[in-house]
Amino acid sequence: MKWNSKEIDIYLTSKEYVDTAFITLIPISFNGEMKQSVAMGEFSTVLTNEIERQLHGRTLAFPPFTYLKSEEREKKLNRLKEWTSKLFEQGFQHLFLFTSDTEWKQFEHDLDAALIWLPVIPLEHMDGKYKAEILQEQTKQLLQIVTNKWQTES
Amino acid sequence: MGTGGFMAAGMLMPMVRFAIDPILKTEAASDMVDIDMKVDDITTEPQMKKFKVHQVDGWYESDVEQAAFVFKNDKGDIVALSPVCKHLGCTVDWGTNPAYPDEFFCPCHAGRYYKDGVNVEGTPPLAPLDVYEMDIKDGKVFLGKPMPHPKA
Repeated sequence: MKWNSKEIDIYLTSKEYVDTAFITLIPISFNGEMKQSVAMGEFSTVLTNEIERQLHGRTLAFPPFTYLKSEEREKKLNRLKEWTSKLFEQGFQHLFLFTSDTEWKQFEHDLDAALIWLPVIPLEHMDGKYKAEILQEQTKQLLQIVTNKWQTES
Repeated sequence: MGTGGFMAAGMLMPMVRFAIDPILKTEAASDMVDIDMKVDDITTEPQMKKFKVHQVDGWYESDVEQAAFVFKNDKGDIVALSPVCKHLGCTVDWGTNPAYPDEFFCPCHAGRYYKDGVNVEGTPPLAPLDVYEMDIKDGKVFLGKPMPHPKA
């Protein structure tokens, strides 16, 4: 389910079926790194949308967690931890963080959520059909990661 | 503009609104979409086919991706089922649960459907999968809107 009025209504009436939260981590930077940051955000957003669509009934995709690339490491880590602990408090049992920013890999052990790092594929240079195939392949793998976690932890 | 002019504007306005406001236009007769699939390619094994549907929502136009499981049933009729689970809208897949290889399976809450799209009783879904309106022209498959299953 998505973070909009229509789907939140469904969430509120069927909360017991929704135990998984998705958050995309999106960096913002300027000058030389701007283009790269945009590509990172775009790619993880596209994939999160697609996997949300396929696992619509058991997941809630939150608005993205955005941060300035220049933000102090500890600060953004603590900010994200505040989000994740709040979500656990709210009854979510599985948390998935999707990002293309390598920096989060270093924090993986400090996070109590599953961090999924997606290397950016330069989609802008591909034609439609090829692009769709690649995205489909990627989503398939993500689906497996999520459903495996459901199976092993339930 | 006097009172008369004001009243005339009041009568004219609704008509002008109908003329220009796409939200108030009635929808064109259901559009059938070419899903780029030949009748000869259809087997008894459900195949997932993705296609794009042009959607107009008020002023916002977009191409929405949709999918269908297309196959021939026991009678040899071509069927196109929507993969959207009738429980909470996840995407079901064919034969992915090793315990039930000849059923549609929903990974979210283990919902199951028989091959004809009817939900297996005792699993979360409360209704059969939707069935697409279909047309066959020149040996090619055209799909319209997903409609409630005849057994629903």
